Formats: sequence, C-alpha cells, structure tokens
Amino acid sequence: MSSWPTETKYISHSTARIDAPAKLTGKARYASDIQAEGWLYGMILRSKWPAAKILSVNLDKARQLPGIKAAVVAREGEFNVRYYGEEIAAVAGTSKQACLDALRAIDVKAEVRHEFVVNETDARKSDSPQVWDGTPNAPATPHVRENGSVDTAFPECAAVIEGFYTTPVQIHNPMETMGNTVSWTDEGVTAWASTQGIASVRDGLAGALQVDHSQVRVITEYMGGGFGAKFGAGAEGVLAAKLSKAAKAPVRLMLTRFDQALAVGNRPSSFQKIKMGALADGTLHAFEAENYGTAGIGGGADAGGGGGGADIPMPYLYKVPNTRVKQSAVAINAGSARAFRAPGNPPASFGMESAMDDLAVKLGLDPLEFRLKNDPNPIRQREYKMGAEKFGWKNKYQKPGSSPGIVKTGIGCAGAAWPAGGGSKSTQGEAQINPDGSIEIRLGVQDIGTGTRTVIAVVAAEILGLKPEQITVRVGDTNFPPGPGSGGSTTCPSVSPTVFDVCQNALQQLQAQSGLADARGENWFAACKKLGVNPLVVHGKWQEGLSSSRAAGVQFAEVEVDTETGLVTVKKILGVHDCGLIINKVTLESQINGGIIMGMGYALYEERVMDDLSGVVLNPNFETYKMPGIADVPDIEIILVNMPERGVIGIGEPATVPTAGAIANAVANAIGARVSSLPITPAKVLAALGKVPPPVNA
Amino acid sequence: MKNNEPENLGAHSRRTFFKSLGTVAATAATAQVTSVAAELEKINAEKVIGPNAVPVTLKVNGEKLQLLLEPRVTLLDALRNFSSLTGAKEGCDRATCGACTVLLGDTPIYACSKLAIEAQGVEITTVEGLAKNDQLTKVQQAFLDKDALMCGYCTPGFLMSVTALLKKNPRPNADDVKHACAGNICRCGTHPRILQAALKAAGVETASKTEVVAYV
Amino acid sequence: MKAFTYATAHSTASARELVADNGAYLAGGNDLLNLLKEYLVSANILVNIKSLPGLDKIERGEKFWMIGSLVTVAQIEDDQDIKKVFPSLHAAASEVASQQIRNVATVGGNLAQHSRCWYFRQRDTVCLKKNGDLCYARNGENRYHSLFTGNTCISPVVSSLATTFAALDATAIVLRDGKETRLSMAELYHRAWENPLAHNSLENGDLILRVEIPTARTASAYLQISDKHAFDWALVSCAAAAEIENGKLKSPRVALGSISPVPHQVEAANSFLDGKVLDEATATQAADMILKDAKPLEHNAYKVPLAHALIRRTLLKLKGDA
Repeated sequence: MSSWPTETKYISHSTARIDAPAKLTGKARYASDIQAEGWLYGMILRSKWPAAKILSVNLDKARQLPGIKAAVVAREGEFNVRYYGEEIAAVAGTSKQACLDALRAIDVKAEVRHEFVVNETDARKSDSPQVWDGTPNAPATPHVRENGSVDTAFPECAAVIEGFYTTPVQIHNPMETMGNTVSWTDEGVTAWASTQGIASVRDGLAGALQVDHSQVRVITEYMGGGFGAKFGAGAEGVLAAKLSKAAKAPVRLMLTRFDQALAVGNRPSSFQKIKMGALADGTLHAFEAENYGTAGIGGGADAGGGGGGADIPMPYLYKVPNTRVKQSAVAINAGSARAFRAPGNPPASFGMESAMDDLAVKLGLDPLEFRLKNDPNPIRQREYKMGAEKFGWKNKYQKPGSSPGIVKTGIGCAGAAWPAGGGSKSTQGEAQINPDGSIEIRLGVQDIGTGTRTVIAVVAAEILGLKPEQITVRVGDTNFPPGPGSGGSTTCPSVSPTVFDVCQNALQQLQAQSGLADARGENWFAACKKLGVNPLVVHGKWQEGLSSSRAAGVQFAEVEVDTETGLVTVKKILGVHDCGLIINKVTLESQINGGIIMGMGYALYEERVMDDLSGVVLNPNFETYKMPGIADVPDIEIILVNMPERGVIGIGEPATVPTAGAIANAVANAIGARVSSLPITPAKVLAALGKVPPPVNA
Repeated sequence: MKNNEPENLGAHSRRTFFKSLGTVAATAATAQVTSVAAELEKINAEKVIGPNAVPVTLKVNGEKLQLLLEPRVTLLDALRNFSSLTGAKEGCDRATCGACTVLLGDTPIYACSKLAIEAQGVEITTVEGLAKNDQLTKVQQAFLDKDALMCGYCTPGFLMSVTALLKKNPRPNADDVKHACAGNICRCGTHPRILQAALKAAGVETASKTEVVAYV
Repeated sequence: MKAFTYATAHSTASARELVADNGAYLAGGNDLLNLLKEYLVSANILVNIKSLPGLDKIERGEKFWMIGSLVTVAQIEDDQDIKKVFPSLHAAASEVASQQIRNVATVGGNLAQHSRCWYFRQRDTVCLKKNGDLCYARNGENRYHSLFTGNTCISPVVSSLATTFAALDATAIVLRDGKETRLSMAELYHRAWENPLAHNSLENGDLILRVEIPTARTASAYLQISDKHAFDWALVSCAAAAEIENGKLKSPRVALGSISPVPHQVEAANSFLDGKVLDEATATQAADMILKDAKPLEHNAYKVPLAHALIRRTLLKLKGDA
C-alpha cells in the first residue's frame, strides 16, 4: 500500500499559492468575467410575492425592447411560487440596461395568496397558513432519538440547567454571486460556471436540457467562493442555457446580491430547548433537547447537494448516557436551505457548548475542566490542553462577570468534530510529460479559493523531485479526468492521493521508457529527453491508505464587552486544529483564518431578517446583512496538529464550527449573563444585563 | 429668432435664448461679440445628453477607451461589460462591498457608484494597471508573500485600497490599514493576511502566528 | 436604473431650471444612484452640480466657518484645522461609511440623504414614505428605528454630520426659489418629524449651498456605536459641543442621531447643563432628561441605555482628552 514520504521538501511546508499572480493582476477570469464571442447579458425576474399562483407570464413587450434577444419563462403554464424571490422568467440582451428595462416590461398575472408565513415559531402553530397545501408546516410528531432513561436520570443530577439557544438563518454570500456564462449551440453546451462541482453542473444541465452528458462541458478556472451553495446547475444555469439557445449566443447570467439572499440556499435556523444535568463529580448524566429550525420551503431534494435539512447533531460531541432528542423541521415561505460549511455543526456546537458552560458555571467548575471531564475524544482532549497552555487559560479564567470595570473581559472555548474527509474514491487525474521536461497535471476538480491547485503542485513536486513552480496545474474542466466536488472538506484528501498515484505511475513509465532507474529530481530532464518526440500521458486514480476522515478541533476566544453599550469586541481567537497530514501549511492557515472569521460573523453579526407581514427579506444586501470586516477581525493564532500517520484529511469545515460557541461562552464569562441567541448584538447584550426598558404600548 | 440684446433678458430666458441658437459656436467665435461665444461655450457645457448612448472616453491604465454608453451606465459596467477590463469585480453594485474599487487619479472609489460619463478626463487605474511588464508591485508581491488572497474575488478591490493608502501614507500603522480597508468585504476571511501584507508593503514585517506541533 | 438624461450645471439658476420637476441633483451620487437602482425614486434627468462655482470651499473665519456643500466628507476628515477647531466634526466624518464613499460623498448629499429604513429601502414594500398606508416597522422589525417621532413613520435621521452640526448650532444655507434660506438642523429636518412622506425639509429644487458653523463652542465631541466596528450605520450617535469657561459649561448642546427623524435635542437638558461643572452626575442627569420621553418599541428599547451611555461619554469627552 502507498504511503507518504516521511522526509519532505514541500509537503507540510509552505508553497505560495500558484494562482496568486493571475488573481493579483486581474488576469484570472471568473464565470462573471467571461466574454465569449457575441455574449449577451442575462437577468432573472423574481416573484415579489411570498405566495402566489402565477397565471400567465407575458414576454411579448419585453422581447420587443431594443437590445433584447431572448426571453423565457422559468416554468411553463400556471405554477405556484412559494417564496419572495422565486424565479418567474429570464431575459437576455446586449446590455445590463436593456435587461433591466425588459424585466420591467414583463407582464405577470397572478393570484396573490395572502396566506403565508415566514416566522418559524408561528409556522409551527396548528392554525398557521400552510406553505404546501394540505401539508402541515411541521410534522405532528417530531423525530425522536432516545437512549437510557432521561426521566429517571434528571432527579439523580447534582445540577440541571435549562436553556433556549437559537441561531438564525445564515446566508452564504460568497463574493462572486451564483451564475454562469452558458453557450448552447447545436454542438452542445459549454458552461463557464461559478461552481464547487463542475460535474454536478454538467449533470444538472444535461438533465434539465435533455442532452447527453457528452455534449455538456463545464469549465471553472476561477470561482469567487461557494461555501456549500454552489452545486448543481441551479435555476439560473438552466435559464441561461435556454436563453442562449433562443438567442443563438452565449449568455452570461449572474445573480445579483439581492437574489443571493432569496433563492440560492442558506443555513437553517435552530431553536434548541436544552435541559442538561450532571452528577456531582461533573459527569454529564442527562440530556433532553427539542430543536426545530427551518430549511425554507424544504430541504432535501430541493436543496441541491444535500445537507439542507434542519436536523443537527445533539448532544454534539458528548456521550451522555441518558438522552432524549426531538427534532423537527418547519417549513416557511422562504428559499430552501442548502449545504453551508459544516451543515448542522455550527448551530449544534453553539447550543451544546453554551449549555456546557452554563452547566459548568452552575456546578462551580471551570468550563475547560468540565470539558476535559466529559469530552470522549482523545485528540480534542490533547488540543484543549495544548490550546489552554498557549492561550493562558488558567491565568485568564475568572468567574463569570467578575472582570472589573465597565468593559469586561471574558474567555470561552468550544469544540468541533467533522465526520467527513476520506476522499472521493472516484477521483482520477492525468499528467502529460513533455520531452522538454515540462509537465502538466490535469484534474477535473475546481479550486474554490482553498488552494487546491497549489496542493496538486506540492504533491507532484514532492513525488517527482521537482519544484512546485515546474508543475503546470490545470483544473476545472469536465474534459479532464473526473474530480470531486469541493465540499465536505473532502477535496484535499481526494486530490492528494490521486496526484500521488498519477506521479508514481508517471515515474514508473518514465523509468521504463528511459531506462533510468530513478527519473526523479536531477534525472528528470534526462529521462524526459528520452521520450523522443511524443509526450508521455499517464493516468492515475485515488489510492487507499493516503487519506482518512474525521477531524476534531477546538477554539478559544477572548472578548471585551462594553457593559454600557453592549458592544462585543473579539480580542483574540486561538484555533487548535488537526487535519491529518498537512500538505501546504500557508494555504491551510488561510482556510482556518477564514473559517474562524465566518464563525465570528455567525456569532456576532449575521442574520437573515424577514418581515412577517409582507413576507419579504429585509436585508438582501451587504448593508444590513452584516459580515465581519477588517476592523472586526481579532488576532488569530493557530496551532496546527500535524498527524501524518493519518494521511490527508480536510479542514474547510471544522475550522468554522466551534467559533460561535467559543465567542458566546466568552461573552457569558465576561458579563456573567447568557446571551443564548445569535447573533450577539449590543441589543441582546444590554437585554441580558437587564438594562433594556420594556416597550411602550403605542 | 428675436433680435433682442441678450443682456436685457433674465437669466432664465437668457439660457433659453442661447439654447435656441444651437451649437454654432464656431461661427460665433469668429463674430465680434465674444461674449456670445463665451455664453455659447457655457451652454454647450450644460448640454443635456442621453438617454440614448453617447460617446464616452475613459482613460484607463494609460490607454484610451472610446465607448458609446447610455448616461446610466456605471464605470464598473463600462469596464466589465463594454471593455475587456474585468479585473474590477461586481460584488453588490450598491457601494457596500468594495470589490469594484478603482482609482480615479489617486483616489479610491466604488466604480459601481460612479457614472461612466463622470469618470472622463481623469486617469483611472484598475488592478490590470498595477503591474508593469508582468512585474508585480510591492503591494501585489506582499499579498502573494503573505497569502492575502483565497478565491481572489475581493482581491482587486483590496489591492486598490491598499495601493491608494500607501501612496497617501507610506508609513501606515495597523489602524490606518483597517481604516483604509473598512470599505472592502471578504467572505473567505483573508483580512488578517491583508493587514500583514499592507504592513509588509510599507516595510513592517509581522511574525507568523502559527505553531505546528506533532500529536503526542 | 431607468434611463435618464444628464447635464452639468454651471450656475445654480441653470441647475434649478434643468432639474425642473422630475430631475435630481447629482453630487457624489452614493445615495441617489442606489435609490435609482432600486427604483425607489425616479428622475428623468440627473443634473451634475459638481461644477457649480464656489461650493467646494472650506472658509475659515473668526466667528464662523463656512463649509461648502460640495466639500467631500474625506476632505473634512483630512482637514487638520477642522480636527483642532471642530473635533466632533472630524470624528463624525471619519466614521462615515467607508473611504471609498467618503471620497465622493458631499456634505450636502450627506445631509439630504434619504431614509435608511429597510422597509423604505425594500423595493417591494409600499410603506408610508412611499405613499402606502402602513408603517411596517411599527409592529415589525424596528430594531434600527426611532425612539421619538411626531408622526406615524418611525424612520430616524441617520446623517451623523447632521447630529454633529446640530450640537454645534450650525446653519444650513439653502437656495430655494433663487433666494438663500437659513435653516437650523432642527428646521432642516422638521418636515420629517411631521410628515411621513418627508426625509427632510428640503423641497423640490432646493439646493444646499453651505453650512455655517459658529466657532464659539471650542469643545466638541462625537461618538457612535454600531453593531460592527466600522462601515456600519450607527445604532445611536451622539454629538456634544460647548464653551468651557472656568471649568463650567457655557452654551452646551447635546444632540442624538438615529433615534428620531430630526437630530434629537432637548432644550431643557441644554439649559440644565449651562453653567454646570461637567461630571458624571451632571452628565447622567442630562442623559435622563434627554431620553425622558422616549417611546421604545418592541425591538429598539436597547437604544435607550445605549444612548444614555453615549450621552454621558460624549459630554465627559468635552473636558478634553487625547
């Protein structure tokens, strides 16, 4: 069986991101930059009603406007829309301006339904308007998992806490919106997609357009972030294709920032009622929880790429002998959820880790000690201890609210577990080695900003004894051997073993053809020269034994809370993370920074807000859907636990899981009161401190 | 046309009168009444243009772009959709994310919130205009060295903001960098490294905050 | 945006004529372009006023300074003399939006900007300000809304320059029907207090020419708190200004922003502070007086303690610090 070399020149060291120059000079072309010959601008008309029966969509006037080359409906005949922002029609024209005018010339006749619901708590009531006719918004009985005997266990506990921990719907909001440039001709379909899964786009387009897979090519050289939402062709991809066919020209259809908040996925909310008890010695003994959350009109099939459901793992990291967990999803008239960076885990970590701290406080225990007493995972145990030492936990820890002064400091911690990793076994790759020694590796994976291209170059350089800059890496084309979708933190463990295999095969064949016993390193050029005129093309695929799954991870947070204004300032975050064998340290660190910052946004700023009365999204923008900026980002320190014996695992998701829990616990520690609802805004801090007067009846 | 002396009319009518003369500035210029020429020049300067496309000349990265644009076309739109300069990105089109940041002269602005017709007569610099002959600028090199980018979509905007900052203040501290970059959003989370890169480009080296340990 | 024509005005008279009934003045354009992109306002002509002579100057005087309406917020932030003479103005300007916006945003545009209420800004909700018959915020999502109002609309004024000018007792000089009209900050926003359709007291065709700031109040301070640390609208902002004579306040003024359609001032509080030594107890009493009649709604009651804290801190900052 294969194994990674133990002495390495590049693996586990730092190689600069190889596509940095292209991105830094503006040369990199994203789906939104493609200017195919004769290209047209595309735009979607969306429902301004949260619930309606669309009776007719008249495109005649729109089609006649100057510059408009095509207009199509989203669905034929009469159809129902069930959320504000659902697709109704699309147009393609020679300019953005032409399209804007055309959208306003589309005549939509609708039977507007005044019965809709966008609030989870209201939607669960038996008299709530139904999102889907004839179907209750929430199941009559929740899904129940039990073990042991929770009812007899609680009375045995020395301390019991109850809490209601809630998290909002979170919007992915990658910097590049969803979309594609699509050209559909008699020759087939070419889509330059902003996607995390070129194969999923091909699959989606082929199915929707009813063409053979072999006639669909998807290209993603660069894409501006996905975070789980960008899988499948999307309504927008299919519409772009149809417009292209009708207009006989490529169509670039990118969503607007407004669209992003409405219709292309989100992280479900959670409403976690938790009751938890421990014995006198600090052992967790009983756990009862009821959680509901919304995945919009529905997760599952509609969500694309899986992970759209509202269920979360409870009691998350901990093994409690007596548990009862009830979960149900509630439908509301809002866009469907989609997988979002570690689906289910950030809310689960936030709820559980908040409850852990609350119970530790009630028991009079240091929350870190409480975790060490109860966390069954030896890796996390080690990470907590390493982190605590670097963080200075023992010195910094004070009893909740005991920090002096108006601006109080506090610390908190939380843990993560990410089950996936492992690698997609169907990943393949190829290398073309030229007689002049140049080598091109081709893999149908996409680099979504994580540094996948660089990982490929690093592994290849290591195995072949070359420098990473000698490796030309080409990714993001369904014409290349199939690669994994970039999700589940599985990309690095899929791609690395594959490149390993490709390179091993390359060496074997090069050595056989050249007669040189070892074609690596300084022998490379001599060996390649012996190829004569033709290049050598070798194939390879994912190999067993070079990757595995399961990442842990813990984070520590230090915050300052101004108890007069409620403002929370995160001073420092320490992340202690394992991901098996570190392939490229510098890009790995960036991933962890990114996960932490996204988790911080979840903790303090992000929330999709909908209006109960009108059913619209109130913050479909960056103005009031708030994400961390450079002035908000704290000092971030990282301890990387290198575990080469486990092979390559992924990091993208574990890095974002525990941040909100750690920050929430730090806030509670600082002010001596619990804000159990994300995001932790000044308003909520002041309320937790009892400083907010009641509203005045108008 | 009435044969009245323009000086006797009120300002309102004066303007209407001169409008009615049309743009015969050339003829008027050779006339003895030079005040008429001056007035005509003023009227031309106040000419109403649009709503259809009008000629617009943009000086971008040292080159001239001659375009035909409706007045409602923004500078960002002009760059991305009416020329091949797709370096400046569209993240929001609402002056909230900075992905479209370009320099007008030395001044960073949101291209999405500047009409293209109002960006004439000034040197515009986009990300494509930073590196000369494939030689990265100090700022670009620092971004590369510090891995201050991931997906790269926000990167052009940040590069312009940091470049502008260092031109204005070659010795910024961390707060200055944060102040200059507050108008740029990143979703991948490159902020810590952008801060380090900006400081590095200003000659201030910052230490790495990562420790690698073996699992023991 | 809908199509529009465009012209550059070289005199205020031309500007007024060009803008007619259905046009809009274009200065920095941040607010106007966003409003047009969302189809919240309609303009068939945009009149560029950036070439109007004489409106882009900062004129230093002994008793008064004049800041032209075309002066950008960035120019105010960068002006080292303003930092010394009107520290509150420097502080407010430096926190407006982002560098990119400050570089083009003008004083006039900042004062004239439209409501930021998310129901107003929502393209599909027809609220009171858009001639609808309902204020959605009252019984809806009102976390960013007013604690005080004279009408059914609860959208607050958000211009932090307005708050600061209010504390400095500055006057806006507005050209209306060819005549210069002087408006205090209270007068500049009074119509929004009374009329749900109004964002401020400016009428169609009005052009802010300059802001006149008396120099008498040599101590001034400004603070705001937002959810985030930068590039975020203030939840509450506070400006204070006064002369300090023998350790006592003279002609003090305290104004709050983002909690009322007008910069919120309570005369009784200003009078109370006049002649007092500035300390924690006085500041607290003043804050109580300023917030006495607040009418918090379901989600914005946090603004009361937040404003209270800001008032105390801003006042105490008048004593002078780094």
